[in-house]
Amino acid sequence: MNSSSIHNVSRRVFLARAGALGGMGLAAPMAMSLAAAGEAAAFSASDYKALVCIFLYGGNDCHNTLIPTDIPNYDRYSAIRGGASGRKRGGIAYGLDELVALKPVVNQTLTDDLSYGLAPSLIKTAALFNSGKLAIQLNVGPLVVPVTRVQFQSGAVPLPPKLFSHNDQQSVWQALGAEGATVGWGGRIGDLALSSNTNSLLTCISASGNAVFLSGNDALQYQISPGGAIPIWAAKGASFGSSRASEVLKTLITEPRAHVLENEFTKVTKRSMVMEDIVNTALNPITLTTSFDTDNKPNSLANQLKIVARLIGARSALGSKRQVFFVSLGGFDTHDGLMETHPNLLALIDEALSSFYAGTVELGVENQVTTFTASDFGRTLTSNGDGSDHGWGGHHFVMGGAVKGGRYFGTAPQVSITSDDQVGQGRLLPSTSVDQMASTLARWLGASESELPTILPRIGNFSSSNLGYFST
Amino acid sequence: MAWRMLMTGEDQFRKRCALALSEMLVVSLNPIDGFWPPYVIAAYWDLLNAQAFGNYRTLLEEITLNPAMGFYLNTRGNQKADPATGRVPDENYAREIMQLFTIGLTQLNSDGTPKLDAQGKTQDTYSQSDITNLAKVFTGYDWNYDRVTWQSVPWLTYKIPSPEFSRDRMKLDAAKHSNEAISFLGVTIPANTAGTEALKIALDTLFNHPNTPPFVAKQMIQRLITSNPSPAYVGRVAAAFVNNGTGVRGDMKSLWRAILLDPEARTLSGGVTAGKLREPIVRFAQWARTFQVSSLTGKWEIYDTSNGDWGLGQSPLRSPSVFNFFRPGYVPPQTALSANQLVAPEFQIHNETTTAGYLNFLTSIIKSGYQDVKPDYSAIIGISHQTRELLDWLNLYLAAGQVSGTTLDLVQSALDAQPLTSTSSETAKLDRIYSAILLVMASPEYLVQK
Repeated sequence: MNSSSIHNVSRRVFLARAGALGGMGLAAPMAMSLAAAGEAAAFSASDYKALVCIFLYGGNDCHNTLIPTDIPNYDRYSAIRGGASGRKRGGIAYGLDELVALKPVVNQTLTDDLSYGLAPSLIKTAALFNSGKLAIQLNVGPLVVPVTRVQFQSGAVPLPPKLFSHNDQQSVWQALGAEGATVGWGGRIGDLALSSNTNSLLTCISASGNAVFLSGNDALQYQISPGGAIPIWAAKGASFGSSRASEVLKTLITEPRAHVLENEFTKVTKRSMVMEDIVNTALNPITLTTSFDTDNKPNSLANQLKIVARLIGARSALGSKRQVFFVSLGGFDTHDGLMETHPNLLALIDEALSSFYAGTVELGVENQVTTFTASDFGRTLTSNGDGSDHGWGGHHFVMGGAVKGGRYFGTAPQVSITSDDQVGQGRLLPSTSVDQMASTLARWLGASESELPTILPRIGNFSSSNLGYFST
Repeated sequence: MAWRMLMTGEDQFRKRCALALSEMLVVSLNPIDGFWPPYVIAAYWDLLNAQAFGNYRTLLEEITLNPAMGFYLNTRGNQKADPATGRVPDENYAREIMQLFTIGLTQLNSDGTPKLDAQGKTQDTYSQSDITNLAKVFTGYDWNYDRVTWQSVPWLTYKIPSPEFSRDRMKLDAAKHSNEAISFLGVTIPANTAGTEALKIALDTLFNHPNTPPFVAKQMIQRLITSNPSPAYVGRVAAAFVNNGTGVRGDMKSLWRAILLDPEARTLSGGVTAGKLREPIVRFAQWARTFQVSSLTGKWEIYDTSNGDWGLGQSPLRSPSVFNFFRPGYVPPQTALSANQLVAPEFQIHNETTTAGYLNFLTSIIKSGYQDVKPDYSAIIGISHQTRELLDWLNLYLAAGQVSGTTLDLVQSALDAQPLTSTSSETAKLDRIYSAILLVMASPEYLVQK
């Protein structure tokens, strides 16, 4: 799809929606019509399924997440990252004896006979892998077409825009275009799911901030706080003793406006008010016995995943059949202090992943919820002294009862700063594209073969749109 | 700290400019640790205030060598390459000084529009090689402890430094500075150039790059005036950056003057996409200044307001990353803005949670202040029973008269529903004032500054 046709679609959708909003009072069942299902085809859904994206802002150091444990490859890793003698921790390398072993459930021969372990703070994640609930996608990243190192250097083939730049690569991962893109692939999946849900606005939900990932051509992101929806108190009851003031407040902050910026403010505020009642009413009875605070430390990612789990728990009350969620954790731009900060961040992921999986088991939906990680980019394998710099491809987790866990997908990169599967300093040249990962996940949620190009316009550039994460 | 400065004092414009700069030249307190983090970030805020009306070249050098920036973007402790261990210089500052502080990613015309090649495509300003090369310039620096005195405290086994290092420029250790030749953006810095000279060449190159004037101009217009300035407006401001009239490049006074006195800033366009969403920090600071807040304890206990559930979703010098709370290129999806390729940066932190958070925050502070910081409504309590006068006053002071008569009528009808006379109780008068401020500061016509 070229840019002008995207804009045409947006304008058409905007005009249609503006018209619909203008004629509607606050009492109208806007939860259904706000994200009105448009021209898109729809999933036929009788069961429940959800995708959950965990975005690691800053660029997760993939080389210190998934680490070689076989001696030849560990030694390469340790030599490049400044490890100490005796295969002990040094520089930005972990010691070999610290790593948590991964035990694949099937025999897989990887590049250079690699075997892998996880960083020391990923003990529960390793257990999920070893019990077949979590898979690892190796070296995935943004691509326009498959590319070799020679092509990268010569510029012979198109490359993703603004490689190595944080904000742009976040956008490319989420929306397949540099900053300024307005339609994400989570949102495009949401477009197809809108009509499956009683409250179509509850199709694409962020428990983090605004993320282009969740904006579709029709689907809108709904944002929720980890504590639930936030009521606007002065508009709910009397404001400073005046019920008339409260009514006028409600009008002011929700009425359609001719000025576009003003209208955007009131549109969002109106959504906030209408959905607060619906969402909180449905959430109130949903309490989980699963602890999301097993480590007794603040964990914003676990808090976000807890509200996701509660919303999934409220799926019947809310009439939800197909949902896409977005949560995030920041702080991964580890140029400095990698060995101090990164293990703590991974520990947060570890607690959040295991708690969330347990939560889905408690809710009886572990086979209906698939969770995956994403990040700006991987990082250099080389050290800058006590950290690493911006890279490209990285390794990511795919978790859920439906996932063929305990396996690696994709091609393992060599542990090298000169090989052809990296573009200098161990910045991995992705061997699997984000599009392929996305299409595999979209298929599982219900997208048909013919719908994939709508969600992922460049999927035809790659050999496979199904990486095989799922049995069916 | 920053809140007190934003809310009080005579030099309001300097602080407004410093706040704008703090959202482009971002340093955040959040990751800064070690000794005296509040002093470290305070020194950065002082630096932005001190240099706000200076020259951008000086500002660029001062932030580069500032201890807070050194910590935040990792110039502090950055060392030359070590072939024995494979260590290479940290690239963070080299990348972000180009992407965010000077030239940006895309080659620009002098009016800020992208330069297109024969195929109509934008052109990158730099490559990864430029970054890897420039990174060598920023090696050898660390916090400067020359003026520091070290003191023992009973509860620690090591001595702690006095905080002078937080204000002093970082110190160059020639032994840790890269002596390799550097080639970036078409400029060569020969091998063995002294560190100070290499820095000068690098910063001069960025400062004199044709992108820098429109890049800085457009973002500062966005922070102060409007989200989508016309190319002509950007061009006029960029020209004032290039030459202040006496041949000086980078004169910040010239930049601010051009931004504020431009016809596009001084004329209400009436267009339906004109203006910008007031950012939450500015709303809160404006309320505080209008009602001359004071601190009961002298402590000004306003700390982190960046929680969106109950706070503002934003707090000065506490951005979640070097990319600020919102990006200058943020486009709210599915709006007439996205259809017309227009941006609205502040909407990146506007959503179902933060809009409720702001309105609740507002309701709370109007009546109770924030912690020990309390408002003074004595200027308007005398007119509280004269509803329209009260509203006109609020409209003038808070919204520069941009709340329409229609809205004022609606608000007036709400206020008049609770009758009030000059002899009514103080409590009743204050309730009237609280409601009036809430309704004005919640109204979209206030929230979007035209």
